[in-house]
Amino acid sequence: MALLECRGLTKSFGGLAALQDLDLEVSPGEIVSVIGPNGAGKTTLFNVITGIYEPDQGEVWFNGHNITGLKPNQITKLGIARTFQTVHLFPNMTVLENAMVGQHCRTRAGLFASILRLPWQRAEEERVRAKARQALAFFGPRLTGYREDQPASMLSYANRRRLEIARALATEPKLLLLDEPTAGMNPVETQELTRLIGKMRDELGLTILVIEHDMRVVKGVSDRVVALDHGRKIAEGSYEEVAHDERVIEAYLGRRAVESA
Amino acid sequence: MPASFLLRRALRSGGVGGAVLIYLAMVGMLEKFAPLDLVGTALPLSRLLVLSAPAVAGYVAVRPRIHAGEVQRPTAGPAMAAGAAAGAAAGAVAVAWMVLVRTIGVDALRGIFVSVTEGALGVLAFGLGPAAGAAVLVPAAAAAGAVGAAVRHVPGPVARALGLALASTLLFALLQRIVPTVLFELGLDPYWMYDRVHGGLTYLGALVVLGVSGVGSWQTAARRARVERRIREVPPEARRAVRLVGVAVLLLVLWVTPQLIGSVLSEIMGTVGVFLLMALGLNIVVGYAGLLDLGYVAFFAAGAYTLGLLTGANLVTAFGLVPPAIVAHLDFWAAVPLVMLVAAVVGLLIGAPVLRLRGDYLAIVTLGFGEIVRILVTSNWLKPLVGGAQGLRDVTDAAIFGIGFRDPQRFFYLVTGFCLLAIFVSRRLANSRVGRAWNAMREDEQVAEAMGISTTNYKLLAFATGGALGCLSGALFAVKLGTIQPGSFEIPVSITALAIVILGGMGSIPGVVVGALILMGLPGLLAEFEEFRFLMYGAVLIAIMILRPQGLVPNVRRMRELQEEERLQDAWLRAQEARGEALTGAGEEGS
Repeated sequence: MALLECRGLTKSFGGLAALQDLDLEVSPGEIVSVIGPNGAGKTTLFNVITGIYEPDQGEVWFNGHNITGLKPNQITKLGIARTFQTVHLFPNMTVLENAMVGQHCRTRAGLFASILRLPWQRAEEERVRAKARQALAFFGPRLTGYREDQPASMLSYANRRRLEIARALATEPKLLLLDEPTAGMNPVETQELTRLIGKMRDELGLTILVIEHDMRVVKGVSDRVVALDHGRKIAEGSYEEVAHDERVIEAYLGRRAVESA
Repeated sequence: MPASFLLRRALRSGGVGGAVLIYLAMVGMLEKFAPLDLVGTALPLSRLLVLSAPAVAGYVAVRPRIHAGEVQRPTAGPAMAAGAAAGAAAGAVAVAWMVLVRTIGVDALRGIFVSVTEGALGVLAFGLGPAAGAAVLVPAAAAAGAVGAAVRHVPGPVARALGLALASTLLFALLQRIVPTVLFELGLDPYWMYDRVHGGLTYLGALVVLGVSGVGSWQTAARRARVERRIREVPPEARRAVRLVGVAVLLLVLWVTPQLIGSVLSEIMGTVGVFLLMALGLNIVVGYAGLLDLGYVAFFAAGAYTLGLLTGANLVTAFGLVPPAIVAHLDFWAAVPLVMLVAAVVGLLIGAPVLRLRGDYLAIVTLGFGEIVRILVTSNWLKPLVGGAQGLRDVTDAAIFGIGFRDPQRFFYLVTGFCLLAIFVSRRLANSRVGRAWNAMREDEQVAEAMGISTTNYKLLAFATGGALGCLSGALFAVKLGTIQPGSFEIPVSITALAIVILGGMGSIPGVVVGALILMGLPGLLAEFEEFRFLMYGAVLIAIMILRPQGLVPNVRRMRELQEEERLQDAWLRAQEARGEALTGAGEEGS
């Protein structure tokens, strides 16, 4: 059974149709890339899946639940975590605190437990800390040690991107949505992250849906590629199939380029 | 920097300085502050104000200028000259105004400008006649301007030590009604330091304070780095012990404070405490959760009236005292938990409709809530319950074993106890799952939601928690006065609480304490300030926003937030680059 299933998703903003009758299935343990030119509806798809937008039509099913219309925080609690196209950290919280926020939905200490610092609350705080460190350690030494106590805003750009993924990992998701994870990274960093995306699936058992512009990354990580244009799915299949699909080439380069080729 | 340019700028800032002088005179501040001697009889607060306007003008006149791609700073000589010119210009503008006033006639003006008096003119003229006064004012202002300009040429460490010394001298001079009392109660003779007749510091006292604080700050500045390192190296267990000792000392000091400062000052400190408690509550809403609430007075009022109704207060009517429509006769301590419960409900009531609002919109709507509460309690509709404009009387005292707390010195203990409790709660919350969630929400609401934080719940929780403290402060306020008057629950209360939080530094508990002491304590201590309370709040807030937007004692986190701009820009640039690269990448692969 598919872990994530989108059925007939439609979403428009005014007259602009960002998603049109889109079907998408992601099986457990799969890494699926979503590609498409700017404005193809990739990020809208993520926003609909994570509950930031409600679709005009269609349903999203996750792990056997219909999650359409649920709030983002509920969806995160069910096990979908995401990163954002432009880095959205909590810039003035420390690196460790950022990751600890990720554990929020897996913990329960409320007002009174926190004020009274009950024994179980203290144990929970320790656990949160440990889990957050574990998530940070996924990126090797880059986010650990002295960096833990630095504000997130002091990190380098690539580290901010990494921290955003670590924060998502700290929510202990089943499905991870990565929105252009390598944007702005240099080739070495990109290569490293490509490797890590595979490692997340292999070692953490995650299912991953990734929006990516860099075709080398897409080629490197994907089990399957889905191409969108104008909110419609125009191609789906292995990287080779999609990369040579005429409609995909046309979507990226325009009709004339195809004719001349 | 060319002399003509310097002169032009000096005249410009001098003109503004002169306008400030005229303003100070016309609002009556100069006259009001004239009897407040700071040092001997030579420096009343009014004279300090008269001199500080040209000094600031001088300081501003010689600011660096960027011209033809280079930074130009006037050298010491021209700078002092320009500063003097600016000061003299300010003085000249004030003199011109005085001539104008004299020509029209003080009495003729009094009808419109009530504060334009002989007294105000006298302060500007240094207590001399019109001609002699002008002859003194202009050179004095020029000297002040030159000093202001010279400040830019004093080396940093010296300037810091000097600034601190002057600031502490001013502080000691302003605390002239509290320090001598404390010294006296401690069995020390305060009269070598403070003038018995005029109240201010004696010349000797001023010199001693200046010297001690100057040398002290110079010394600590030199050793600061070393001391800080040693503090860091203290092992955690020892640090814990030190902290315990610190808390014990603090409690001891608080224990003896009411005896030391006497009844009148305890009364003032009681008011400070009530507002501190309120500001601590607002700090949770604004500082932690980032919800700008301008109607916080709603909680203050709800707390006061609820306590009154729960403990058997009476209405004042034409037929004498009658009990309100609904009333219980509980003990104060039994009522407090109920008051906090009511507070939480009020918090939810206010919070629920504004959940979707942010920033400015939230501020406006909460401002409206504050007004609604004020109108409700004065309305005829609720008159049988809360007594309309007459309010409630006979609010119970908070007695333990028959010992009451209405006496100012005892009330100090009561309010301090609740403030310590509120500080404890705030600190615990700040470093917990709840505090992290609030923090995350303040920094980026949408992302917090996407990270699994129910922003709806945490907003309501912030309103309820902050509201509980606000209500508690209202209840204590009612206990303190014994009566509840609707006039105590108007917009300025909200503004005061917010000003305290902003002045101290949002989200910073020591900041809130300092803010409450300055904004509530100073006007209480110096009756002269009372009239200009809100004028000064405005001036202080503007100054703090320009000079130190993170507040006096900032929360570390808030400080970072304000330095964020350039980093955002950096991120944007990178994102643009990335976009360009990605497109070329896609193009290659596609063809």
